[in-house]
Amino acid sequence: MSDDMDIKDKAAWDAADRVADYEHGWSSDIETDFAPKGLTEDTVRFISAKKNEPEWMLEWRLKAFANWKTMTPPDWAKLNVPPIDYQDAYYYAEPKAKPKLGSLDEVDPEILRIYEKLGIPIAEQKLLAGVEGGEDGGLPQRRVAVDAVFDSVSVATTFRAELERAGVIFRSISEAIKEYPELVKKWLGKIVPMHDNYFATLNCAVFSDGTFVYIPEGVRCPMELSTYFRINAENTGQFERTLIIADKGSYVSYLEGCTAPMRDENQLHAAVVELVALDDAEIKYSTVQNWYPGDAEGKGGIYNFVTKRALCQGKNSKVSWTQVETGSAVTWKYPSCVLNGENSVGEFYSVAVTNNYQQADTGTKMIHNGKGSRSTIVSKGISAGHSNNTYRGLVRVAPNAEGVRNFTQCDSLLLGSLSGAHTVPYIEVRNPSAQIEHEATTSKISDDQMFYAQARGLNAEEAVTLIVNGFAKEVLQQLPMEFAVEAQKLLGISLEGSVG
Amino acid sequence: MLQITNLHATVGDKPILKGLTLSLNAGEIHAIMGPNGAGKSTLGYVLSGRPGYEVTDGEVTFNGQNLLDLEPHERAAAGLFLGFQYPVEIPGVSNVQFLREALNAQRKHRGEAPLSGAEFLKVAREQAGALGMDMDMLKRPVNVGFSGGEKKRNEMVQMGIIDPALAILDETDSGLDIDALRIVGDGINRIMRKPDKAVLLITHYQRLLDYVKPDFVHVLADGRITRSGGPELALELERDGYKELAA
Amino acid sequence: MPAPTRRDEAWRYSDIAAVESAWPLATPENIIVPVGGHYARTIVQETGSIHQIDIAIGKGATAAIHILNIGGNYGRVELNVTLHEGADFKLGGVQIGGNTQTLEIITTVTHAEPKATSSQIVRSVLADTATGTYLGKVAVARDAQLTDSVQSVKAMLLDRSATANAKPELEIYADDVKCAHGCAIGELDPMGLFYLQARGLAPADAKKLMLQAFVAGVFEGAVDEEMLTEAALKKLGELV
Repeated sequence: MSDDMDIKDKAAWDAADRVADYEHGWSSDIETDFAPKGLTEDTVRFISAKKNEPEWMLEWRLKAFANWKTMTPPDWAKLNVPPIDYQDAYYYAEPKAKPKLGSLDEVDPEILRIYEKLGIPIAEQKLLAGVEGGEDGGLPQRRVAVDAVFDSVSVATTFRAELERAGVIFRSISEAIKEYPELVKKWLGKIVPMHDNYFATLNCAVFSDGTFVYIPEGVRCPMELSTYFRINAENTGQFERTLIIADKGSYVSYLEGCTAPMRDENQLHAAVVELVALDDAEIKYSTVQNWYPGDAEGKGGIYNFVTKRALCQGKNSKVSWTQVETGSAVTWKYPSCVLNGENSVGEFYSVAVTNNYQQADTGTKMIHNGKGSRSTIVSKGISAGHSNNTYRGLVRVAPNAEGVRNFTQCDSLLLGSLSGAHTVPYIEVRNPSAQIEHEATTSKISDDQMFYAQARGLNAEEAVTLIVNGFAKEVLQQLPMEFAVEAQKLLGISLEGSVG
Repeated sequence: MLQITNLHATVGDKPILKGLTLSLNAGEIHAIMGPNGAGKSTLGYVLSGRPGYEVTDGEVTFNGQNLLDLEPHERAAAGLFLGFQYPVEIPGVSNVQFLREALNAQRKHRGEAPLSGAEFLKVAREQAGALGMDMDMLKRPVNVGFSGGEKKRNEMVQMGIIDPALAILDETDSGLDIDALRIVGDGINRIMRKPDKAVLLITHYQRLLDYVKPDFVHVLADGRITRSGGPELALELERDGYKELAA
Repeated sequence: MPAPTRRDEAWRYSDIAAVESAWPLATPENIIVPVGGHYARTIVQETGSIHQIDIAIGKGATAAIHILNIGGNYGRVELNVTLHEGADFKLGGVQIGGNTQTLEIITTVTHAEPKATSSQIVRSVLADTATGTYLGKVAVARDAQLTDSVQSVKAMLLDRSATANAKPELEIYADDVKCAHGCAIGELDPMGLFYLQARGLAPADAKKLMLQAFVAGVFEGAVDEEMLTEAALKKLGELV
C-alpha cells in the first residue's frame, strides 16, 4: 500500500472513530474497504477522504447531504416501493475486497448462463465477471472502450492511449475531479442541480464513482465509449455519477450496459447522468439496463432511481437517448433534454419490459426553450406477469420558442391479463407556432399472430420474442449494432415464463 | 390583361424565377410547359400571393392594377383564380359553405350583392352537374377523402361557380385518367373560352392540350421563358423533349 | 378538506386563487343512468363556475355529454364517469378562451366492466393570455376486457401569450382492450389558410372559417347542436 493510500485511510479511520458512539455509529472492527452501514455526515467525509478529494468536492457533498436530510422522496410515480431504510445500507465498497477469480469456472453459473444467452464474447465475459487477466483480453475489433465499474470504483480502462491521441478525455469521475477540476466544476451539478430531487441530491452526497468524458471541439470520438455497471457487494448502494461534455462540433456515442448477479435483498441505486452538448455537437447515449429484477415472486431486485438529463445548450446541438430497460425491481427514470439551443434536437427512444412483479415508471421530458428546437419520443412498453409499466413524459414549449416540433408515440403491449400498462403524458404549450403531436395505443399479441408464428415452427416463447422484437423494432434499430443484438436477446430472456 | 415583366422571385432565399416576362390578353389561352424544377408552380404561387414566395424584382399588372400589392383574397376578388396542383383538404368545412362564403366575399369586395342560399345552390348545382359531380360531394368537407381526380374536378366546379377573369391552372391534368381529362378539358373550354377571359395552363405534358387548344405555348426553363410559339411548339416539345429546346 | 394546491394532479394548471375563493365546493352532482337507459346533457359554462358531476352508466346504458366552456375568468367542468358492462359514454367538449381566462375540462372515465365503449373529443381555442387545460384519464379495470376507448384532443393557440395544457392519460389493467389516444397542439394549417384566401376570403374570415371547422363536429348529434354551435361561433368571433 502506498503512502498516499495510508494517508487516505487514516482520514477515513479518523472519521470512523469520531462517530463510533453514534446511534448508527460504526463498530470498531470495520474493514478499511467498506464504509460501515448507515448514512451520516461522516459517511460523506469517509467517502471523500477515501477518494482523496479536494476540499471543494467535500464541501459540495456536505452541502448536498445537509439538503437531502430535509427532503422527502417523490411520491407521484405509479410505483409501490416499500420504505427504504437508508441507514441499513452500505455507501462505499472498494472492489479489491472481493477476491479476483482465477477463471470463468469460478463465476456464478447463473450469471454465465445469462452472458451466454446474451452472446457476450468469452474475453468480455472475463472482464465483466472480474476474472484475473480479463482486462488484457480487450476486444479491439469491437472498437469499444470499456470503463468497467466493479462495485463502486473504476478498475479498468482500455483504449485510453488512442482516445488521448484524439484529445478525448475518458476517465473515472474521481480521476477527473483531481486532473480536470475546472472542467468538472464548470458542469457538475449544472444540468441536474444539486437539489433537483431526493435521489439526485443523495447521489451528490455519496456518489462513489462514475465516468467523465470530454470531447474537444470538432472531434469525432474514434470509438464507442462504454461502461459496464455491476453491483456485486451485498447491500451496497450504487451511486454512479456520469458527466459527458461534447464541445462545439464534436460527436460521441456512449454505451451503458448493466448486468447484475442474483441477490435476495433489495439494493438501492441512484445514479446521476449529466450531458452537455455545445454548438453543433451530438451525443448519442444508449443504455441496456438488465439488473436483477427480483425473482418470480417479486422477492429481491434492484431499486433503480436514476436522474438523467441532457442540456442541448448550443445551436444545432443534438442529444439522443436510447434505452432498453428490462431489469430492476423498480425503475424510476426519465432521461430528458433541455433544448436551449436554436434548432437543437432531442430524441428519446425507449423499450421497457416488465415481467413478474417488476414496476417501471419511465419516460422523458423535452423542455423546448430554443427557437426551432425539435424532439421525437418513441416509447414501447411491454407488460407481462403481475408487473406495472408506466410511460410518464412532459413536452413543454416556452413562449419565446418559435417553430417548435414534437412528435410522441407511446405504444403499450400487454401480455396476459394480470399486468398494467399506463401512459401519463403532460403537454404544456405556450407558443402558437408549435406543432405537437402525441399518439398512444394499447394492444396485445393477437391469437392469430401467435398461431401464425407457431404454424411456421416457432414455440410459444420464440413467437412472443419475435413479435415483441417487431413491436420494439423502431427503438432497437437506434442502438449501435452490437448492442442491438444483445438487446433483442434480452427481451426474450426477460419475458421467459410469461407465456404458456 | 396580365403583364409580367422581368419577374424575379425566391422561395426561402433560393432564387426560382429569374427574369420572367409574359403577356396575356383577354380571349387567349396560354400554356406554360417546362421540365420539373423550372419554376412552373412557383409562377402560379407568386401570381396568387402565397406567403413565403418573395418577389425580389420585376412587376406584374392585372387589368392595369399592380397585382403584387394585393393580398391573396384581393387578387381573387379582382378575378384571378389559381387551380391548385394539390388542392388542400379542410376538414369540418363543407364545400358548399366554403364556396358560398368565398363567392360572396368576392362579390362584396366588388360591390355586388351577395347571393342568397337558394341562388347559390342553383349555380352550384349547374356547375357540379356540368362536371359530372354528385351534389353529395359538394356537401362533404372540402377535398377530404376525395381521390386525386375528384379533387381536380372539384377545382373546376369551384372555377365554374366563381367565374374568374383569369385562371391559372397548375398541373390540372396530373392524376387524371383519360375520361376525367376530357371532362376537365371540356369544363375549361366551357367556362373560360370567352372573349373577356384568359387562361394560363401550367403543364408538364402535351395531353391536356389535346382538349384545350392553346393560342400560345411558352417554354419555362431555369426561371425564364426560353421560347414562345404557337400550338405546334407543344408537339415539338413532346417529340424532342425539353433538353433540346431549353438549350 | 382544504382547498387544493398545484401539487394536486387534478388542479395542477388551475387558477388556484379562484378555486380558493370558491372553496368549499358543493357536493358533486350525482347522475345514475339505469340499466339500458339513455342520458344526454348539455353544459354551457358561461359565468365562471366549477361543475363537478359523477355519472354512473348502467349495463347497456348510454350517456352523451356536450360541454361548451367559454365564460368567466375561471371555468371548470369535471366529470367522473363509471361505465358498467356494455355501456357507452360520449363527450364532446369545446373551450374557447381569451383575455386572462383559465378554462379546464377534467374527465376520469373508468371502464369498470367489460365491453364498454367511450369516446372523448375535446377542442380548445385560446387567445390573449388565456389558459386552456384538458386532463383526460381513461382507466380500464382488471377484467374489463373488450373495452374500446378513443380520445381526440386538439388545441389551437392564437397568441404567443396563450397556454394550452393537455394530459391524455391511460391506466390499463386488462389486456384485451382497444385504447387509442391522439393529441395535437398547433397553429392553423398555413396552406389551408392560403387556399381559402386564394378563393377570396379575407385573412380574418379565413381564420374564422378554419377555427369553425376546428370546433365543428364536436357538437354533431347533440340535443342542443344548433345552440351550442352558435354560441361557440359567437365566442370565436369575439377572439378573431
